[in-house]
Amino acid sequence: MSFQIVAEAKKIAKITLVGEVDSLSAREFQKEIEKLAAESPDELILFVENLSFISSAGLRVLIFAKQKMGTGLAIYIVKPQESVLETLEKTGLLHSVNVVDQYL
Amino acid sequence: MERKTFPGTLDSLAGIREVVKEEAQRAGLSKKAAYNLMLALDEIATNIIVHGYEETGTEGVVDVLVDHSDSQLTVILEDDAAPFDPLQRELPNEEFFARPLEERPIGGMGIHLTINAVDEFKYEFTNNRNRNIFIVKTSDA
Repeated sequence: MSFQIVAEAKKIAKITLVGEVDSLSAREFQKEIEKLAAESPDELILFVENLSFISSAGLRVLIFAKQKMGTGLAIYIVKPQESVLETLEKTGLLHSVNVVDQYL
Repeated sequence: MERKTFPGTLDSLAGIREVVKEEAQRAGLSKKAAYNLMLALDEIATNIIVHGYEETGTEGVVDVLVDHSDSQLTVILEDDAAPFDPLQRELPNEEFFARPLEERPIGGMGIHLTINAVDEFKYEFTNNRNRNIFIVKTSDA
């Protein structure tokens, strides 16, 4: 029997957020998520090292992402600032995402 | 009390934050307390703009009043939209926050953040205007 191999690479969506996500910028964030959702990624990586503020409207986009991209989607949040991390914690979002120091 | 008037559109949010941030700094608010106040403001101002004005097809303003006295920083958002008391909405309970993301209703989170972000949050309807009042204690007694 001849050798067979099936390989499939994970589909990874990456977004970098810089500055402040309020209800206005959350709309742009949501549009990006909608675009990426069409590709049905397995992982969503958010680089947020330079994100200084995210309001509940921004956090709702994360919930939206999970609902839009499917429950199998893994969300990684890379290097959140302390205040951002705290908001994730207070809203109970922390146990639905993976907070990491770096994504390789 | 100092009053600043902003158009009732979402691009006013950054300016509203700026005004309050400056006053918060003068009042000596900790970074954390100031951040939480910004979260609360964004939530309530967004409600006013989106539900009060945008969705009803009306235009209006959001007035921001700030005052620092008697060891407290008071921020008031005033608007002319239809009367709306954000505290009348059902607050999310623990069960809500324990639910996995994919099963959560999208709303409800913001008002929880608002109430927990400041020492006191009040709503009143006076002179035909909505008044959302945020009070944060300062340490300058």
